[in-house]
Amino acid sequence: MSFGLEAVGLVRTFGGLRAVNGVSFQLHPGELLTVFGPNGAGKTTLLRMLGGVMRPTSGQVRVAGAPADVASRDWRHRVGIVSHQSLLYGQLTIEENLRFYGRLFGLTDLKTRIPERLASVGLTDRRRTPVRDLSRGLKQRAALARALLHDPEVLLLDEPYTGLDPHASGVFREQLASLKDGRHTVVLVTHNLIQGLELADRVAIQIQGCFSSVTDAGSLDLSGFQALYHAAVADRA
Amino acid sequence: MRTYLRLVWAVARKDLLVELRTHERLTAMGAFVVLIGVLFNFSIDTALVRPQDIAAALIWMTIIFGGMLGLGNTFRLEQEDGALSGILQSPIPLDALYLGKVLGNFILLSVMVALVFAVFGLFFSLQFSGNPIALLGVVVFGVVGFVSLTTLFSAMATRSSMGENLLPVLVFPLLIPVVVYGTTATDRLFAGRPVAEVSGNLRMLLAFAIIFTVAGAGLFRFVIEE
Amino acid sequence: MNQKQIRWAIGVLGALGVATVLVLHGMVFFWVPTESTMGIVQRIFYIHVPAWWIAFLAFGLVALCSAVYLWLGDERLDRAAVAAAEAGMIFTTIGLLTGPLWGRVAWGTWWEWEPRLTLALILWFIYLGYFLVRRSTVNPEQGKRFAAVVGIIGVLDIPLIHVSVTWLRSLHPQAVILSAENPMNLDGSMGATISVGLLAFTLVFASLFLARYAVGGYEHELDLRDASPGSIQGAEA
Repeated sequence: MSFGLEAVGLVRTFGGLRAVNGVSFQLHPGELLTVFGPNGAGKTTLLRMLGGVMRPTSGQVRVAGAPADVASRDWRHRVGIVSHQSLLYGQLTIEENLRFYGRLFGLTDLKTRIPERLASVGLTDRRRTPVRDLSRGLKQRAALARALLHDPEVLLLDEPYTGLDPHASGVFREQLASLKDGRHTVVLVTHNLIQGLELADRVAIQIQGCFSSVTDAGSLDLSGFQALYHAAVADRA
Repeated sequence: MRTYLRLVWAVARKDLLVELRTHERLTAMGAFVVLIGVLFNFSIDTALVRPQDIAAALIWMTIIFGGMLGLGNTFRLEQEDGALSGILQSPIPLDALYLGKVLGNFILLSVMVALVFAVFGLFFSLQFSGNPIALLGVVVFGVVGFVSLTTLFSAMATRSSMGENLLPVLVFPLLIPVVVYGTTATDRLFAGRPVAEVSGNLRMLLAFAIIFTVAGAGLFRFVIEE
Repeated sequence: MNQKQIRWAIGVLGALGVATVLVLHGMVFFWVPTESTMGIVQRIFYIHVPAWWIAFLAFGLVALCSAVYLWLGDERLDRAAVAAAEAGMIFTTIGLLTGPLWGRVAWGTWWEWEPRLTLALILWFIYLGYFLVRRSTVNPEQGKRFAAVVGIIGVLDIPLIHVSVTWLRSLHPQAVILSAENPMNLDGSMGATISVGLLAFTLVFASLFLARYAVGGYEHELDLRDASPGSIQGAEA
């Protein structure tokens, strides 16, 4: 059986800067990898390469065993992305945004799919609200609905908890937890230690473009992890 | 093929929907057209010059300056909340994204062009005795070429620190064929000359439109990628 | 070619180029007969016309290197494009400065919208656009790609611009200028002088091109040496 998501020696340079310096990992379908790391470690760059938004300088991404490069379009329906930005058009309603993205992904059953998806994130009654009128928490839920609309097997989340109050965080966490069904492979980048550890199967610490360690989350508790994290950061400083 | 066209239309439709909600670009372009007409009125001494004689020049210069206003921010919407990443991650082929943007811009600009003719016709009491279909052809082909080129460059401008200020410097030199063939054809048509005299211009404008739409579609991915 | 060979080539081409330019000046001022209709000022042609040809040749080279650069991604091609662009811009500027000098005497005005001069002006601006976009991006590789696109679009447009401007001009013929524009009515010695001019400028161009290419190579090496696995400034996680 092939891996849900694989990174093979991913490198990305910007001029003279090595933002990602050789990251490799393999995730089985259903696994959730949380990536922690200080600002500037290259985590967003890594996610952008995994999502096919940015071309790696070298290395390869594989989704469900097949190569997923920037030039090809046929694997993209397998992946969904959530960022700290909403990726939505503020002037349009949630429903209109979903319809647009649904069309981009070539979905034909939008009349049933969109209401289902809205219901699953609890936004049915706000579907006609322009996105810019939504609170941060609701915007993120809408962003998640957008990411999951085409039913991807892989979900990439870049600091989704940014700016969410405790209640909104809790709601978002519930949504993520429901994805732990053995089908969805998830990479979560976050600064939120509690949320990040709680749902993780594996945990990575990215420092200066590399994974300094990848551990099984089962063996970690919060304080143990904090020690590990601070040690890793100090090591590279 | 049908899915491809559907994707192109999805992008154009979304841009037009946003414009319908905000009216930002149309308002800016519309106000510009009317006000430039006012300024032209004050800057042309009608005792010495007949506006009818320079109508083609006035019209095309307004189309280009006004068009720049509306086209410069083609990709700004996508920058604001990172929607560009969402689109780039999706299966849409990048040339379809480009063509969708071109289509949306063409529709917006067509509205502006209609306004230019209406406003200038009104302000300067312009008479038109030529073939209207030929004029339509000149305008459509010219605007397509203009929009294709400017859409490609506006993607660059959005991603550069110089922003939209860079756009006229890059695009104006390249638009010379459109200005040359567009204004002479418009001039002749306004003067009631026969269509045969503008057929060469029409062909050149069409060639320009085709060349730069195809080139734009092919080169767009190098411009939009990170 | 290694560094030593390149430096040798630059030196030889440069020396040959300068020597040929001196020969050219000798021919222009002392040998070639005065042209009958325009008088002494016509001699500027032997500088002006070859500068022209090189300016366009250089741009053709820019476009070719740009196209292959976009296709293959080899940064040496981009370096070649920049080198050609810088050298080409110099010759375009020479053409733009010598044109009006001649025009002042031949036509009585500093500027005339005659096709070649007009095209020179446009070409100069397209070169300018090439350099402006290069420097305008945060990510230098993106800037190189933008510049390559400008090069390709430019080379597609220049023939169209030339045809349109020439056509427009032909609508309002002015006899004196038309004959002055045509250097084809040349006798043997004039043809020889122009050929020497072309050779001289080609050698100088080649020398400048190689020099700039070599400098570009050093810049690239410096960039690589500064590259470190490291954090990126700015909005990065």
